[in-house]
Formats: sequence, structure tokens, C-alpha cells
Amino acid sequence: MTDSALILTVSRMEAQQLADLVAQFSELLEPHAVPDATSSGDATADPALARLAPNPYPDDDEAAAEFHEATRRDLLERRQNDALRVLADLAPSFASGDPNDPDPAADTIDLVIEGDAGWAWMRTLTAIRLVIATRLGISGEDDDHDPQDDRFAVYDWIGFRLDGIVRALETAD
Amino acid sequence: MTLATPDVDREIRDQTTPEHPSLWQTVVWNDPVNLMSYVVHVFRSYFGFSAARATALMMDVHERGHAVVAQGPREQMELHAQAMHDYGLWATVRRIPK
Repeated sequence: MTDSALILTVSRMEAQQLADLVAQFSELLEPHAVPDATSSGDATADPALARLAPNPYPDDDEAAAEFHEATRRDLLERRQNDALRVLADLAPSFASGDPNDPDPAADTIDLVIEGDAGWAWMRTLTAIRLVIATRLGISGEDDDHDPQDDRFAVYDWIGFRLDGIVRALETAD
Repeated sequence: MTLATPDVDREIRDQTTPEHPSLWQTVVWNDPVNLMSYVVHVFRSYFGFSAARATALMMDVHERGHAVVAQGPREQMELHAQAMHDYGLWATVRRIPK
């Protein structure tokens, strides 16, 4: 499965929007995914970041603190690396005048997602949905989507793309 | 797939018999965000479960609120929980309930 390449055909506009979203996600992680992260604020203060690094010991504060101390920064750093990998995969699609662009005039582009990058994409899209869900206060399966709030549309769109990637990889498996 | 669920439970109960009082579990909890297809894919890829078993566990998470995905030494269960967190799943570690 990890040897296969996945081709994701998207419009240039969608690729640009995806890249904007992933870049925002990366900025959110930035202060917490560096070696001296402990001095730059508590990641748990932001509920979205707390959801990205959940507490495995809800009934044992001491064990939870130990676990987070030992693992949280590395986890957020891995998320950051995933996000950067996705951005790298997206980069060719909107670099205007890129000499490697096979067809600069085309409206759509084939994104090539190779090997382990498939997981970087799935984890990143999942994490972005978790962040949006936390911001929107989505807490149940049947929460009404406010059609006026664009973030619900983004949330559904990212879910659609994630599901497509999962199904493509399951088929290739 | 719902027919498969009782078998999975039976299997887990069999492993929890008191000969292993010091064992721990990794538990995955339901959340409204993660896609069913994605959760099944994670269970298959990471734990190497069959499609049927991965689907049954996902349905347990979805319908009962949680599922035990692994049992064993605490350190190992923490590694599994960490991996589940990487995938964006909500996992906890606990002693096997008496």
C-alpha cells in the first residue's frame, strides 16, 4: 500500500484553498512544535490543540502530566512535519510560471501523493477537521450545520477529500 | 458487520480473565468528527486487523461509545495510545477493569 502513488485531481482554486488551510494549521502548531515549546505557552490552553494531543489518563492527573510531558511536543512536531509534507505536495499546483508545470493553463491539476505521504495527508486532513470541529463546538453526530457559517462547508469538504483518499488507498491495498 | 460484534467481545473477555491482573488496555472512544472509513483504515493499517475485525471494532466505538483495541503491558498500551493520537483518534490507557 505504501508503495503506491495516489493521484488526486483538484481544481487549482481548490488546491490553493487547501494550501491556505494547511498553512493556517501549521501556524497554529508552530509555537508548540519546537524544542523549547514549554516556554512558549501551554498547548492545553487551546481546546483545539488539547484535542490534537488528548489525555490518555482522564482519571489520573499525575500520569496524564507525565505522559504529556514526555510525548506532546514530539506529537505536535510530527503533525507539523505532516503538514509541511502536504504543503510540499500542493506547491506545484499554484506556483505560477513553474517550469515543471506540465500544463499551466489547465483549470485542474493532478496532485501526486506518494508512499507515506498518504498518511501525512490523512492525518493532516483529520487534524484540521478536529480543529474546525473544536472551534465550531461540534460535539454530537447530529449537530445542525449552520448554512451561514462557511466553516461547516470547509469541514464537510475536507471530510469528503479525506474519505476519497481513504477509499483510494483501501482499494489499492 | 453487526453480527461480528459479539465475537469480538467474547474474544476480548477471554483475554481479560484474571490470570493477567497486571494487564492494561488501550481504549478508543467515539467522537463525532472522525470518519468511519478512516477509523477502519487506521485499525487495519496500524494493528493489522482484518477488514471484518477492524469494522466490528469501529462499529463498537461508534455505537457503544468505545472499544478496547489492545491489551498488554502498560508501556506498550501507551505506545498504542500515542499512535492513535497521531491518527487523530481519541484513545486512553487503563487497567483492565475487574
